[in-house]
Amino acid sequence: MKMNNGKKTIIELEHIVKRYTSRGSFFSARGKDIIALNKISVKILRGEIFGLVGESGSGKTTAGRLIVRLEKPEEGRIYLNGRKMAGLRGKALKDFPRKVQMIFQDPYQSLNPQISVFDTISEPLVIHKIGNAKDREDAVWQIMKSVGLSPPDDFVNRYPHQLSGGQRQRVAIARVMVLNPDFVVADEPTSMLDASISAQIFNILLEMREKLQVTLLFITHSLSAARYLCDRIAVIYKGNMMEMGSAEQVIQKPKHPYTKALIDALPKFGLSGEVNHYNTLLPVVREVSEHEGCPFFARCSVANKTKCSLKRPLLKETDNSHWVACFYAVNGAEKGF
Amino acid sequence: MALLEVENLSIGYHTQKGYLHAVEDISFSLEEGKSLGFVGESGCGKTTLGMALMRLLPPNGVIREGRILFDGADLLQKSDEEMREIRWQKIAMIFQAAMNALNPVHRVHEQIAEAILTHNASLEKKEAFEQVKELFRIVGIPEDRMRDYPHQYSGGMKQRAIIAMALACKPGLIIADEPTTALDVIVQDQILKEIMNLQKEFGISMIFISHDISVVAEVCHDIGIMYAGNLVEYGSREEVFSNPAHPYTKALLSSYPTLTGKKIRLIPIPGETPNLIHLPSGCRFRDRCPEAKAACKTGEAVWIETSPRHKALCYQCGADCK
Repeated sequence: MKMNNGKKTIIELEHIVKRYTSRGSFFSARGKDIIALNKISVKILRGEIFGLVGESGSGKTTAGRLIVRLEKPEEGRIYLNGRKMAGLRGKALKDFPRKVQMIFQDPYQSLNPQISVFDTISEPLVIHKIGNAKDREDAVWQIMKSVGLSPPDDFVNRYPHQLSGGQRQRVAIARVMVLNPDFVVADEPTSMLDASISAQIFNILLEMREKLQVTLLFITHSLSAARYLCDRIAVIYKGNMMEMGSAEQVIQKPKHPYTKALIDALPKFGLSGEVNHYNTLLPVVREVSEHEGCPFFARCSVANKTKCSLKRPLLKETDNSHWVACFYAVNGAEKGF
Repeated sequence: MALLEVENLSIGYHTQKGYLHAVEDISFSLEEGKSLGFVGESGCGKTTLGMALMRLLPPNGVIREGRILFDGADLLQKSDEEMREIRWQKIAMIFQAAMNALNPVHRVHEQIAEAILTHNASLEKKEAFEQVKELFRIVGIPEDRMRDYPHQYSGGMKQRAIIAMALACKPGLIIADEPTTALDVIVQDQILKEIMNLQKEFGISMIFISHDISVVAEVCHDIGIMYAGNLVEYGSREEVFSNPAHPYTKALLSSYPTLTGKKIRLIPIPGETPNLIHLPSGCRFRDRCPEAKAACKTGEAVWIETSPRHKALCYQCGADCK
């Protein structure tokens, strides 16, 4: 994969496979393995907001958890600034959480109800022994202002139950950003919030990128949110990367039938008449053979019955950094879609 | 005559901290076979409104004022026994979190048959199962999955089963409270299309409650925008979206990211929704409103009609209000 615009890679996933073994039921000793991520490779460039879009169960959250070392992959490697993450020892390992952080989905669960806003935000600084008490207080005040918790005096002594959902998520963002991390995974940070509050959070994330030069992995189920925030987008389905490219490429000129189906399914503000439909989704799910074919084969209306059911298409570059895992997007070009 | 007519409905809750004004002075009407959507953020009173129409408010909820005329009769004057007759036979509801609305220890078809049998005691069990079969065909669940337990269903299928249950007694009105909120977009799209088809096919009137303006825009003929217990704008879908009148509607529309068109910076609504126990005077949106004036604090609420099918609630009095 070539460098994009000379920007350096900050996080690289290389052929990542993550399996979960189900405990099995009462009658069978061990259940079938569930493949959460199937040979995912991606490079995230310094300073960009990279969107990972998928439905529930697609493995998008797993990918985020792997990057922050909450999980370990079964196969493949993850690199941070070119260094293998699994091999980190000593100081480098201790320093890792300072550089790579995560914003969780549900601010109602991610904050400790017994800890005040000030302690919540300053705790990471204490843990990493950054600055003295005065420095830390300044840093907390500073970051609270930049996430819109101002004036900070009104908020520092409050506890999570005294905050609204949007304010809680701001505290969660402040707690992460106060460390000045290089890389942040934001896992559906607005799915629990109302639309007007979501927009506030989106804009805070955009400002953070400008101010702190932080790189973001934005995990979402919403293509429109991804379009708003992200420079590049990857679409993931059942643990497989289906399409990857710039936000405009993926949304305005989608090439994978699955991406097209997602776009078709989004409500379009009553404008359905004016929007062209791709119609790539089969109304009735197709029988699937034993072979490891394309993961979308069962629901794809453009699939070739023999080709797509027997072999899994690999992610290939079609044009100008637009990657698609579909036989027909590469060879047949636009034909048939 | 309209099938449902709601006049000056005010609902509140008695809480430890005082009386909470959940819904204030809401009036609307719904014609037979039409669908009406209520959009608003959490805490705006949309679910309270839906529950009040079914007279299913929790014990601390009170309907302070107003009338709910269904088929010409006031539901608020009905006894509990009469209400039980009306529920499900005439007005059915698709509840929020329908995923958890099915009983996990009973087979799905039995649960739906139960709904039918409870409201039609003279029916044989066999006939009820026949009806269930028909309902499953209507909502698109394969017949061989009828006898499954809920845990064997996917999220979308559970939602379909819940819709089948709502249709069980052929009601004239269905209230759908966030029916697709927990579903993925592709499934959501299928369920919405299903609901629209059924509505057309059987001429059912619908009240559709959602926080997602784009979902309501897809399904409903008319739209009511709610904010902090007030209905602030009401009109046909086309007019509300192409020509929003209330500042809150405008703000809400511009805080949604879109898939098409030019990418513009979202303008979030600053601040938070007001406390519904200690209400501010005047317009409830004024603290967050870019167009607020002095009159918004002291003025009287007036409905401004921008067209015969479109109106907005405004506190700025007189001429500068258009």
